[in-house]
Amino acid sequence: MEDIKNVVELKGVTKDYGDFKLDQVSFTVPEGSVCGFIGQNGAGKTTTIKLMLDVIKADQGEIRLFGENIEKDSAHLREDIGVVFDEMGFHEFMTGRDINIMMKNIYKNWDEEMFFDYLKRFSLPSRKQCGDFSRGMRMKLQIAVALSHHAKLLIMDEPTSGLDPIVRNEMLQIFREFVIEEDHTILLSSHITGDLEKLADEVVFINAGKIVLAGNKDDILEKHGLLKCKKSELEKISEPLIVNVQPGTFGVEVLVNDRKACEKLYSQMVIEPATLEDIMLFYVNKDSKNAGSRTVETD
Amino acid sequence: MKGLVLKDLMCLRKQLMIFGYVVVGVLVLSVMFVLSARFGNIAMANQAMVATEGLSASDITNLSTNVLILFMLLPLATVGDFANVFTEDGKAGFFNVSSVLPISVKKRVLAKYVTIFAMFGIGAFIDIIIAFVLSMLTDIISFADFLGIIISATSVMAIYSALVIVFCFLFGYGKEDYARIISPFLMLVTVISLNLSNIRKSITAMDSGDIELINRCMNFIKHKYYVLLLIAVFVMVVSYFVSVRIAERKRGIV
Repeated sequence: MEDIKNVVELKGVTKDYGDFKLDQVSFTVPEGSVCGFIGQNGAGKTTTIKLMLDVIKADQGEIRLFGENIEKDSAHLREDIGVVFDEMGFHEFMTGRDINIMMKNIYKNWDEEMFFDYLKRFSLPSRKQCGDFSRGMRMKLQIAVALSHHAKLLIMDEPTSGLDPIVRNEMLQIFREFVIEEDHTILLSSHITGDLEKLADEVVFINAGKIVLAGNKDDILEKHGLLKCKKSELEKISEPLIVNVQPGTFGVEVLVNDRKACEKLYSQMVIEPATLEDIMLFYVNKDSKNAGSRTVETD
Repeated sequence: MKGLVLKDLMCLRKQLMIFGYVVVGVLVLSVMFVLSARFGNIAMANQAMVATEGLSASDITNLSTNVLILFMLLPLATVGDFANVFTEDGKAGFFNVSSVLPISVKKRVLAKYVTIFAMFGIGAFIDIIIAFVLSMLTDIISFADFLGIIISATSVMAIYSALVIVFCFLFGYGKEDYARIISPFLMLVTVISLNLSNIRKSITAMDSGDIELINRCMNFIKHKYYVLLLIAVFVMVVSYFVSVRIAERKRGIV
């Protein structure tokens, strides 16, 4: 079997800010995949991304991009990385043409033609100052920049937040086109799980600085299930199968971590597939309460 | 790195436009001044001052030289405020972009210094052209003296900018005004503390109408420009290494 090459590898990465700690974060992103990096605001997604880009230094652990340790020489690795942040970062007086002049003198592989093609495709006027752009246009501009130097890895931090569904959909289409190339990989951080459900192959779920789940999205979705039952039936469910319990419309909803086992054991109960959003919500709530407890949230 | 220098120059676009206007204004005014000092009203006023106020011909020459020096300083002064680059970067959140570029922190810092050289290069070059034109029209001051003044002025501005950059890196975005205030203050304190006894003596002499200090300063600027140039180079080099250290400690995020 062919070896799977990991484009991103984090091993035991720790960063302590005192009031917030990224604790022993480990995960990998295989080449050619789209990895959704999910978690609520403040969970540690941006910090992890900044650590990966060597913008901040980890207290502990190892980070490898394209198989190389970023400690050695992160600058040359960035030639192959396109980054999109939730805020634009370009000066408001700059036009697409100005950005092209700047970038073609920075990136070895800058493709001027490709950049202007993207501007055209995204309906971004190349002579208009980007300060006059809407949020959606600013994001598109960043994406155009990130895609125009033949990057192999796209790292995006909340690129779709605050955008209307049409623009979001348009962006997801661009990302899909990007990963058609086998060696192209995307790490996409978002708390809009619906987007990731459409796009991602892999999912890494972070909460309060710790990785809660990491792996193939379909496996994660297949494993988890939303069991609906009466509050009185809760005692019948084996405790190790329960991730968390929340009140539902007609009783309680239980997120279970082995849907198939539950379907066999509790065939009289309704077990529905869980969405990424369900999984995220149940795990986050579990962590905010006493871990593993069976308490039912009430108003 | 070239891209970052170009970006910095784009940030200083307004300043470069102002520089253009100042250059045109200075050229027109200085040519008018030297022509008038030779053939017009200023020449007549000079003669009247020699006759009635008891000023010597060399006093008049010194006075005219000072006016021309002032003219030469204006273009350089307009390109000298480099803190605007930091202000613009901070406003845009450019560190988000720069921190993920394939450029090391050292090179990112170096880009700022290259921009300064570019700005002062433009300023000094234009000043030299103006000086050449003026030296053809007047014998108040020679082209060599003009060059000395330009090098001295550029060196002083370079020292100022070198300090501004260090303080901008140290204080971070949004605090450029502190850098603008502390840098000239530090320069002034250094100059005064190194020449305290000379300054005291000269101030006492000034009370009795002796303007020796000013003349000595002017001569220093015109003829000992290499001292200022060496100091500027030294300060620039030290400033660069200190800035790199600060920027690396901050992982390039200023």
